[in-house]
Amino acid sequence: MSEEPILSVRDLRITYQTGRNSEVVAARDVEFDLYPGQSMALVGESGCGKTTLGLGLLRLLPKLGRIPQGEIVYRRKDGTTADILKMGKEELRRFRWSEAAMVFQGAMNAFNPVQRIGAHFADTLKDHLPEGKRLSKTEIRERSEELLRMVRLEPGRVLPSFPHELSGGMKQRALIALALALNPQVLVLDEPTTALDLLTQCSIVEELHRLRAEFGFTMIFITHDLGLAAELADRVSTMYAGRIIETGTAEDIFYDPRHPYTSGLINAVLPVVGDLPQLASIPGSPPSLATLPAGCAFGPRCEYVQDRCREAVPALEPLTDRPDGLTHATACLRAEDVQHSREVVSRA
Amino acid sequence: MAVDVQAPPDKEVDTPVPPRRRRNLLSRIWRIYLVRRLVYAVFVTWLVMTGTFFMVRAMPGDPVEVLAGRLSQQGINLEQARQQAKQSLAYDPDAPILQQYWEYLTNLLRGDFGMTISQRGTTVVDHVMEYLPWTLFSVGAGMVIAIVVGMGLGMVMAYRRNGWFDHLLSNIASTLSAIPNYLGAMALILIGSAWLGLFDFWSMRGRLSEGVEPGFDAVFFGDALYHAILPIVTYAFTITGGWMLVMKASTTEVLSEDYVTVANARGLKGRRVGLAYVGRNSVLPLVPQVALALGTLVGGAIIVEQILSYPGVGQLFINAITKRDYPVIQAVVLILTVAVVFSNLVVDMLNSWLDPRIRTGDAEEAGA
Repeated sequence: MSEEPILSVRDLRITYQTGRNSEVVAARDVEFDLYPGQSMALVGESGCGKTTLGLGLLRLLPKLGRIPQGEIVYRRKDGTTADILKMGKEELRRFRWSEAAMVFQGAMNAFNPVQRIGAHFADTLKDHLPEGKRLSKTEIRERSEELLRMVRLEPGRVLPSFPHELSGGMKQRALIALALALNPQVLVLDEPTTALDLLTQCSIVEELHRLRAEFGFTMIFITHDLGLAAELADRVSTMYAGRIIETGTAEDIFYDPRHPYTSGLINAVLPVVGDLPQLASIPGSPPSLATLPAGCAFGPRCEYVQDRCREAVPALEPLTDRPDGLTHATACLRAEDVQHSREVVSRA
Repeated sequence: MAVDVQAPPDKEVDTPVPPRRRRNLLSRIWRIYLVRRLVYAVFVTWLVMTGTFFMVRAMPGDPVEVLAGRLSQQGINLEQARQQAKQSLAYDPDAPILQQYWEYLTNLLRGDFGMTISQRGTTVVDHVMEYLPWTLFSVGAGMVIAIVVGMGLGMVMAYRRNGWFDHLLSNIASTLSAIPNYLGAMALILIGSAWLGLFDFWSMRGRLSEGVEPGFDAVFFGDALYHAILPIVTYAFTITGGWMLVMKASTTEVLSEDYVTVANARGLKGRRVGLAYVGRNSVLPLVPQVALALGTLVGGAIIVEQILSYPGVGQLFINAITKRDYPVIQAVVLILTVAVVFSNLVVDMLNSWLDPRIRTGDAEEAGA
C-alpha cells in the first residue's frame, strides 16, 4: 500500500446537546488514518460512541449532534483532498454515497416503506448524475439489476417489491447493493449483521468478503461482535467512553491486547473450540458520558488501576512502528503489565 | 379394524362438500374489503335515517300545529287556523307513524325524497339543491385551504422544530384550534367589520349581490366568492391550526425514521427527500382524518351560516326545524350522513392505494 491515506481523522470531537446549555461529548480526541483497501473495525460496548463516530464521518448526526472541532480529510477518486467538515451543502450531498456510502444497522427501516426497491436505486442513480446528464429507464434498470445480482438477489423479484415484502437478510443485501451503486471508495458498515439470524449473518459476511476482493473498497465497520471483527477486519480500534483506547492490526488486538479493556472484551466472548471457560465479564458498567471519572475512564473498572491512572487521561502511545496506520498503540499506562489470558481475568 | 378406521374419513369428505362450498363463496365475497365496507356504510346510513325519522317526529309540535300557531297569532281562532294549515300543507298528522315510515323508506329506495311540507308543490330535492352547492363550495374551499396551508406549515415547523418559527406557529396553531368556529365567525364580524372597518359585512350577506345572475362568467364567480369569503375564512382559520399541529407531529416522527437518515446518506436531493420520503410518509396517517374533519365542519356550518347570514344548507336546516318540515330535515341529515360515511370509505380506499403495506394485506385477504 503505502499510498496517501484515503481518510485522515484528526482531533475529532462530537457532542450531543442535552439541554439549553449542556452537552455530552460522545466522541473525543479521535485520530486515525485509513489507507486504501484497508478494513477497519470499530469495536466496543453499546454507547461507547462507535455509531456516533460512524455517522459523524459522513456528517449524518441527528439534529442535536455537533462536531465542534477536528478535521476529516478525505481523498477523492480524482486525488484531490477535502475536509468533510468544511464541505458546503451541495458538495456534501454529492460526496455522500458516490465517495463514501453507509450500510445501516439491520437495514430493517432503511428503505422508504411506500416506495418499491427499484425506486430507491433510481433515486440514488438520478440524484448523482453530473449536471445536465440524464439516464434512461433502461439504463437505470440494467444498472440496478447488475447491482442486485452482485449480492445474489433475484432482480426480477426484488426490484418491483416493497420493502416489507422482503426478509431481513434480503433487505440487508439490497442495501449493500444500493451502497455499491455509485462505486464508493469507502463503505461504512454500522452493525451490518445485527438483527439477522446466524446463517444470514454468515452469508452477508461472505458477500462482503467477496465484494471487497472484487471492488477493493475501503471499509470501516462498527460492531460489538468481535467474531465479525476478526473475520472481516485487518485492523481493529477499540473504543471506550468516546475515545479510541487501543488500535492495531487484528492479530495485535486479538492475540496481544495491551489495554485491560480490550483484553476484557475478548475474554467475554465464548470460544468456539476447546473447553468452556468460566466467562469473564468486565465488572461494573460503562460510565455515563456526562460524568466521566478523572483520568483514565476505564479506571474504576480496571484491575490494574494505580493512582497515576487517575491523574491524567492516558494518551494513545505507540508500541510498535508499522506504516499505513497499522501501528499497535494503546492508551494504558500499564500496557507492559497487562497479562492476557483467560485465567488471569476470570480469577479477578 | 383397518376398514373401520378408513371409513369415517371417506364419509366426511364426501358429504359436507356442497354446503361448505356455498359458505366459501359467501365468505369469500364478505372477505373482499370493499364489499364489507360498503355493507357497513349502507347499514350506518339506514340506521341514521331511521333514527332521524322517528326523532324529528318525537319533537313537540308537528308542521300543522306550528303553522296553525302562527296563523292564530294573526287573529284567526285556533280551530280555523288548524283547518287552514292542514289544507295548505302536504302533511296528514293523523296517518300512523309506521305507515309514514314505510312510505318514506320505499320512496327513498326509488330515489324519491318526497315533497316539502312547508312549500307546497316543491320537491325536497329541488329545495335542498337550491342551498347545498353554496355550502359545499364554502366548506370545501375552507377545508382545502386549511389542509394545504396546515400541512405545509406543519412540515416546515417540524423541520425547524424548537426554533423561533416553530414556537411562534405552535402557539398560534393551538390558539386557533381552540376557537370554536361560531365564535370565530362572530369575532370576524366584530373585529373585521365593526371595529376595524376592513370590509362591509352588510353587503356580504346572502349568496349574490342584487342584479348578479348565475352564469359562467367572471362577474358571477367573483361575486359568489365575495359573498362566500367570510364563511371560507372562518372555516379555514378555525381548522388550519389543528392541521398544523397534527402535521408537525407526524413529520417530526417521520424525520427520526431510519429511512430518512439513509436517504440523506444516499446524497439524494433535498427536494426529493422532503417530498417522496418525509412528505408522503407524514401525510399518510392524516388521510383518514380528512373524512372526519369533513363531518365536523359541515356540522359546524349550520351555526356559522346562521351567524354570517349565508344561505346554505345550515340555514335551510334551521328553517326546516322551526317549521317542522320533516322531509327536508331528513333529507339534510341523510345527505350529511352519506357524505361523511362515503367520504370515509373513499378516504380508506385512497389510503390503501397510497400505502402499499395496507394494499398487499388486502390483496392477500381478497385472494385467500
